[in-house]
Amino acid sequence: MAKISFHHSDGNVDVLDVDPGTSLMRAAVTNGVDGIVGECGGQAMCATCHVYVRPEYLDGLPEIGEDEEEMLECTAGPRDETRSRLGCQITVGADLEQIEVDVPDDQI
Amino acid sequence: MTTAATEAHPVPTADWVTIPDLYRNPYPIYQKLRAESPVHWVPAVNRYMVTSYQACHVIEQDQERFSADETNSLMKRAMGHSMLRKDDPEHDVDRKSYGNVLRPKAIKEHWNAIFQANSDKYLAQLKAAGSGADFVWDYAAPYAAENLRLIMGFHNATQEDMQRWSQTMIDGTGNYADDPEVWAKSEQSYNEVDDAIDEILPYLRKNPDSSLLSGMTSMPIPLEAIRANMKMTIGGGLNEPRDVLGTTVWALLANPDQLAQVLADEALYARAFEESVRWVAPIGMYPREVRSDTVLEGVQLPAGARLGIVVGAANRDPAVFEDPESFNINREKKPHLAFGGGNHFCAGAWVARASVAQIAMPQVFRELANLRLDPDNSPVDAGWVFRGMTKMPVLWG
Repeated sequence: MAKISFHHSDGNVDVLDVDPGTSLMRAAVTNGVDGIVGECGGQAMCATCHVYVRPEYLDGLPEIGEDEEEMLECTAGPRDETRSRLGCQITVGADLEQIEVDVPDDQI
Repeated sequence: MTTAATEAHPVPTADWVTIPDLYRNPYPIYQKLRAESPVHWVPAVNRYMVTSYQACHVIEQDQERFSADETNSLMKRAMGHSMLRKDDPEHDVDRKSYGNVLRPKAIKEHWNAIFQANSDKYLAQLKAAGSGADFVWDYAAPYAAENLRLIMGFHNATQEDMQRWSQTMIDGTGNYADDPEVWAKSEQSYNEVDDAIDEILPYLRKNPDSSLLSGMTSMPIPLEAIRANMKMTIGGGLNEPRDVLGTTVWALLANPDQLAQVLADEALYARAFEESVRWVAPIGMYPREVRSDTVLEGVQLPAGARLGIVVGAANRDPAVFEDPESFNINREKKPHLAFGGGNHFCAGAWVARASVAQIAMPQVFRELANLRLDPDNSPVDAGWVFRGMTKMPVLWG
């Protein structure tokens, strides 16, 4: 199992233990995490699963792809040049057993 | 038997629902249905209608239980087997064949200038028709049709062809009464679209451009899938931006305080657009089929059950939206289901937002001073599977 922590601006944290291979977006939508919408089901088409990755986990992430880069320009909350990612493009597993992200106040 | 199944309720029947009532105004019917149960068997529609937000949302996210590949689908007959009636992984192959054509970067770098030129052209025609002209038929419809013609790459067709193809094939998709005249018109368009595709593909191979059909020429996708997906896109990419444009302008003209807000801050057109598609979803219902016996939000559904996912009702669910029957651009932001969700999320969502909210609406209100409804010639909103303004005379100056 891998561990994902979603930190909300009110101080609440959702901590999820999920199967390896699960994306942050899918984990959040399946478990009803507030503030992650995931409208398009993971096609990097909607920008409603925007997260700010905590700095200590940035090194373990895959590079931002072309589609993700395009959608990060369309987020409702402000983009952070280093920490903004789409939750659908980050998958936990062997290379990333744990991750902590901050959930933006706006997704739409 | 699972615990959930023993506790599940049978589906209530709503034999009082009629199609003419739905067509005139479905919302009081949805209110009554939703208050009683998230799902009903509706004999007049020959489907289970799913009207609660939560139930619609669950279905959209779960193609393992709820298939888009419907048996005896009228859409398959009217348009061929498009990606809209496929599940993954087959759906994903077709979806990828659309490449980047409808994505924000292509819109910004290429399509916005074309949308602007089309808006200039058809707004000039509306002005030439004079105060009292019909906003939908003299502007919104040709504007949406011409945008779609160029996005798709039908350089051998006219916007009028696009409108005829769209309406007749949509009528085929909704031909529950099996009217032979409706099928004849739908089939004529089916054949015309196939011929137009056959004619234009060789041209686009030699003269590639930014269009969908041009992109298809270099994709590993069978001609049969191209034909079906193009027909689905004609049906799903024309009436919808036309209708959201008509409905949003109508709603703003009927709510002068909100119109004043938008006029003072053009960034609010985007809010008005999203609120409009929540309030009146241009596609109000779409089908799914239950794969095996299941329980949905406490209701028992049998294998093979044909569902109507009524996003037009889900978007007015009081469990999610406060005062849901009102058009209110200042309401708390919540995700609506008008573009669908999950793997079938509308591929044209960004095109619709750009062409309607960024280009058409600001220009319309800038150039048509004192735009208003005609007090002596009332607008008409109608439909339920597809809903929009069928008549909207406007005055200005």
